[in-house]
Amino acid sequence: MKKVLQITLGIVTSVGGFLEIGSVTTAAQAGAAFRYQLLWAVLLGTICLIFLVEMSGRLAAVSKHTIVEATRERFGFPFFFIVLIGMVAISFLVLVAELGGIGLSLQILTGIGFPWWAIPVSFIVWLLMWKGTFGLIENGASLLGLVTLAFVVAAVKLHPDWGTAAHGLLPSFPGDQKAKYWFVAVSILGASISPYLMYFYSSGAIEDEWDETYIPVNRFIATFGMSLGGFLSMAVLVVAALVFYPKGIDIQKFEQASMLLTTALPKWGFFLFAMSMLFACLGAALEISLAIAYFFAQGFGWNWGEDLVPSRDSRFCFTYTIIIMAAAIPLLFGVDPIKVTIISMALTSAALPLAIVPFLFLMNDPIYLGKHRNGWVSNTVVAIVVLISFVLAVISIPLEIIGS
Amino acid sequence: MDSIQSWLATAELVGEAWLRHTTPDKYSRQTLELSRETLLQISSDLLKSPPHSVDSASLDSILTRSRVSVAQMARLIQAKDAPDFGRQLDSLRADQKLVKQLSDRIESRQ
Repeated sequence: MKKVLQITLGIVTSVGGFLEIGSVTTAAQAGAAFRYQLLWAVLLGTICLIFLVEMSGRLAAVSKHTIVEATRERFGFPFFFIVLIGMVAISFLVLVAELGGIGLSLQILTGIGFPWWAIPVSFIVWLLMWKGTFGLIENGASLLGLVTLAFVVAAVKLHPDWGTAAHGLLPSFPGDQKAKYWFVAVSILGASISPYLMYFYSSGAIEDEWDETYIPVNRFIATFGMSLGGFLSMAVLVVAALVFYPKGIDIQKFEQASMLLTTALPKWGFFLFAMSMLFACLGAALEISLAIAYFFAQGFGWNWGEDLVPSRDSRFCFTYTIIIMAAAIPLLFGVDPIKVTIISMALTSAALPLAIVPFLFLMNDPIYLGKHRNGWVSNTVVAIVVLISFVLAVISIPLEIIGS
Repeated sequence: MDSIQSWLATAELVGEAWLRHTTPDKYSRQTLELSRETLLQISSDLLKSPPHSVDSASLDSILTRSRVSVAQMARLIQAKDAPDFGRQLDSLRADQKLVKQLSDRIESRQ
């Protein structure tokens, strides 16, 4: 009975916590510029994420190691340090974008510019981290994030042509704007396959004291939670395709995306969008701050645990304190969170091999996984998607920079 | 030209939403201001090297008129003058059509 409840809660929190500024922005841009043509990228990213999240949980449940601990132990400190630099730099950019997303949501609700919100928002995120427990961060923000289901309601209410939309699930070549098409595809993949999610999930499994009996629970949560989450991203893309594409609106600013729900849900759409972004970005900001602190603490062998009082894991708490403070600085100076989002999503794709390749080695190591190590299906799916993301990122990032 | 059409369409969408009372005044006004500023920036970049197939004087005149409409709409939100706002929105829609025609002409000659 306890495990059924855990599965239900896990699926609900996966759905509520799936969307964040990156997935909403990239899906909205895709729908606005290419109608349903990039639905395949969301599907591909979601499939890859299901596999990666399942592996992260399995590694923790079987080996009692987080990905970070196992990476350092298996590959040694010099290699681990390279991964640390790459992943922390990218996760930091994503954190800036998420804090900015909260600020932008408050900006459209109050009219007060997002730079003014940088310090109060960072303080609230820090306070929740300092005072909160892992359960509060994992479940609280994600449950509030269920407001993002409004995107599904809007998609249904706009009566899309489901047959045409289904065609978008198959990859196709763009007619024009080729560089932009591939750049947005890469950004969608980067937004879906965020490495911080893997680090957060595996650390969470250790915090929740998972063991081998949790393997089926993990599989259910990863499969259904992430699938339903991916469905939410697709709903955002479909709504953008129906609202923005016919008018020729290209999403460059948050203020434009804010109109996403007003056509389908005239009365509450604007506020539902603002609240969706507020809670989704808050949940993501908490998870990323934790993931970065986990990275340092587990890598350097410090005490760590969100359920510990700060005096018991002072270096862990000091790390997230510094990271959150630093992430507020660019926002104070008015750096556009949407631009940071787009850049960080594409960079995430380019850096995926750094996170995933060592992880695949770990998942095939009998010392850590024993009989639970990866089969060929998991290895092949993840390797192919990562390779595609990397190649597309390497090609499209320079093209997009030159093109724009 | 795509960016100009995009921001004109943004102003139109925000205008329609405000008339239906589905967006707050502050947000609507600020987004119209943002549209006007962005249109000004894109227009000046475009007019530095205008497309060969388009008369730059008429393009400039349409873009200036559009920006004035958007600025008026932002002002009328403050005055809560829906009838005049509607008229400015219609004028913006007419300019949008002209911009679309110009854009199609450029595309067909490329």
